[in-house]
Amino acid sequence: MIPDDTKLYFMSAAALEGLSDAPAGGLVPVITWQEGVSPFQVRDTFDRELRTTGRMLIELEGGAEVLSPGSGSAAQPDVGGTRFVADFPEGPVKAALGGLSPLRCLLPVGAGHLRRGTLSLLDDEQKTRARAVLLHLDATEGGALTIVQLQGLRGYDKALARLREMIGAAGGKAFGDDTAYTQLFPDLADYTPKPVVPLDRETKAFDAACDIIAAYLPVARANEAGVIADDDTEFLHDYRIALRKVRSVLSLFKDVYGAEQTIELKGRFSDLMAATGRLRDLDVYLLEKDAFYALVPDSLHVGLDRMFALFAEQRAAEQQALARHLRSAAYRKEIAALCKLFDKRRKLARGGKADKPAYDFACRLIWKRYRKICTIAEAIDAETPDHEVHELRIHCKKLRYLMEFFAPLFPDGPFKRLIKPLKKLQDNLGLFNDYSVQQESLQAFLGGLDGAEPGNLQAAQSVGALIVVLHGRQLAERARVVDSFAAFNSAETRQTFRDLFHGGKE
Amino acid sequence: MKIIACYSNKGGVGKTATSVNLAYALAQGGRRVLLCDLDPQGASGFYFRVKPSKKLTDTRFFEDVERFTKAIRGSDFDNLDILPANMTFRDFDIFLARMRNSRSRLKKALKAVKGDYDVILLDCPPNISTLSENVFRASDAIVVPVIPTTLSQRTFEQLKEFFREHDLPAKKLHGFFSMAQGVKSLHGDTMDEMRREHGKRLMKATIPFASEVERMGVHRAPVLASAPSSGASASYGALHDELVARVFGK
Repeated sequence: MIPDDTKLYFMSAAALEGLSDAPAGGLVPVITWQEGVSPFQVRDTFDRELRTTGRMLIELEGGAEVLSPGSGSAAQPDVGGTRFVADFPEGPVKAALGGLSPLRCLLPVGAGHLRRGTLSLLDDEQKTRARAVLLHLDATEGGALTIVQLQGLRGYDKALARLREMIGAAGGKAFGDDTAYTQLFPDLADYTPKPVVPLDRETKAFDAACDIIAAYLPVARANEAGVIADDDTEFLHDYRIALRKVRSVLSLFKDVYGAEQTIELKGRFSDLMAATGRLRDLDVYLLEKDAFYALVPDSLHVGLDRMFALFAEQRAAEQQALARHLRSAAYRKEIAALCKLFDKRRKLARGGKADKPAYDFACRLIWKRYRKICTIAEAIDAETPDHEVHELRIHCKKLRYLMEFFAPLFPDGPFKRLIKPLKKLQDNLGLFNDYSVQQESLQAFLGGLDGAEPGNLQAAQSVGALIVVLHGRQLAERARVVDSFAAFNSAETRQTFRDLFHGGKE
Repeated sequence: MKIIACYSNKGGVGKTATSVNLAYALAQGGRRVLLCDLDPQGASGFYFRVKPSKKLTDTRFFEDVERFTKAIRGSDFDNLDILPANMTFRDFDIFLARMRNSRSRLKKALKAVKGDYDVILLDCPPNISTLSENVFRASDAIVVPVIPTTLSQRTFEQLKEFFREHDLPAKKLHGFFSMAQGVKSLHGDTMDEMRREHGKRLMKATIPFASEVERMGVHRAPVLASAPSSGASASYGALHDELVARVFGK
């Protein structure tokens, strides 16, 4: 049953034409098409934020239109070619794009030609009783789609209900799921940055590890083009996350692969990631630019201008270097070899725990990691050196990865109740770490400044002030750690960990 | 929200054509418009092909919010709804008062169905009666078509007199020349004389006598929709612009 307030439907062109002859309860259905067609382009973020939320952004001749299942269509002129949602001028289209990540660029999904029309139900005086705006999209890639947007006229509810019935009977479906996209662009490749790897309790640890790695390697590969084209910073971020997941499987799934094999693989993946580190750091600085400016008084902004100009320059150079690297034959050969290795799996040396059932393996790893975290955290007080707090952060991160990898093996509800407070603790530890890393790299930046060069003294003053502020923030986060951990490790959390991963025992 | 009444105490002056085209032009300008057909001859509804509703003859009609909102009909054009004729007007002033009062049930009911209007345009019947007086009081502006003849000149003066007698602000009156024929020197003379006498009470825009307007009954649509590039359309456009400037300010 399609709910009664549905405004947007989609159907095939043939089904729509069939409506001309459908019984309309004494009214006459009339379809009229406007003269001519105009080019259109559908755009979405790389991780399909619009598609997965049932929306479609159609760009045409300078303007744009967003179709949303709830509110129908929103159109705005003069917004063509806008790449990021934040850059759209305020208006109905920007509002309809709500919830999109500000970091993601809107990339072309497909293009074609569009025709507009109207489907009306007329009475015996040729008065329109109900109407639907028609949008026929003909994709260059081969698909086609007719979008039907109902427009009720006040006082003619019966006619609107009749039109809705007719559209349903002719095969019209409520707009808002994936089908409209697959009908329009049948060859669209699938992509999700967070692949769900199905596991069951008896899956062997070796297979589980290989499945997870084999699922994340294509994610890394899918992001290469966007890093090379420098479409937005999330491509590199997701590329790195995918590789980091692979690396964490290698280090967390102990003895699943042979010892030498593990060392060799870790080395190869570390090499892949090493090429990306500096660019990501610079991306983070530049994304946080406004926040940095807000940390120091206006009088010191000139110095920051200098610093960020240097960062931007370095970033451009790093980006080009990384793009060259990703395009190089050596890289392509290496990543292809790694993909093949985890697809075929025959050449992977197995370790002593390769055949353990995934469930037992997961329980043991998660329980051990959790106990380790408790031991470290319980010893932390105001006097504890920073490196132990860093240690705690790393263990929490590993615990989180383990829990996410093995999530399919455990009941959803209790699992989520653990992840949520863990995330909060991690946020605290993450900020503590970020502030500390930022201070170090700003120190390094200071060390590299040539004092003789004009403008650098100002930059040094600003950076110095920034370091002081960041240090203050780091101390504040540090002071929260004990409480954060207590909040995470509540009696309920402890019991849930025992129940899920240790057979209910202490 | 503004209430604009289209009124003439003389028939056959192009009043309904004015209501229909003004309503259309206001809606095209992005304002949400409710055109109330108060003329028992029911012509403005006819031009929009809206059939009068039988339910509207009840005298207690305007006390019944539900039935009122149900009687409104969407026209074929965006932003433009019609309240068809065939009603009795005993409570019409109550209706207007409720449209003004944002806390009235009527207003709330309209808001609930996204039917809150920027303009209520009244196509009034051609006689001075209790209804007219109430309408004049409730309206922000009274648009008066005047054929530039001696007879029309007199009726416009009578209307001003009526306003004086009933303590109604004459500023609300916005006359304009309708069905004007450039070839007739009498029309020209009368227009000059009236402009001198009534000053700002007459708008600059003039609607010519045009066959497109006559043919509205055949097309059953505003001239602005059926013959958008005609001279008559340009005149109605100018009338709309001038009236909007007067009623809504710049």
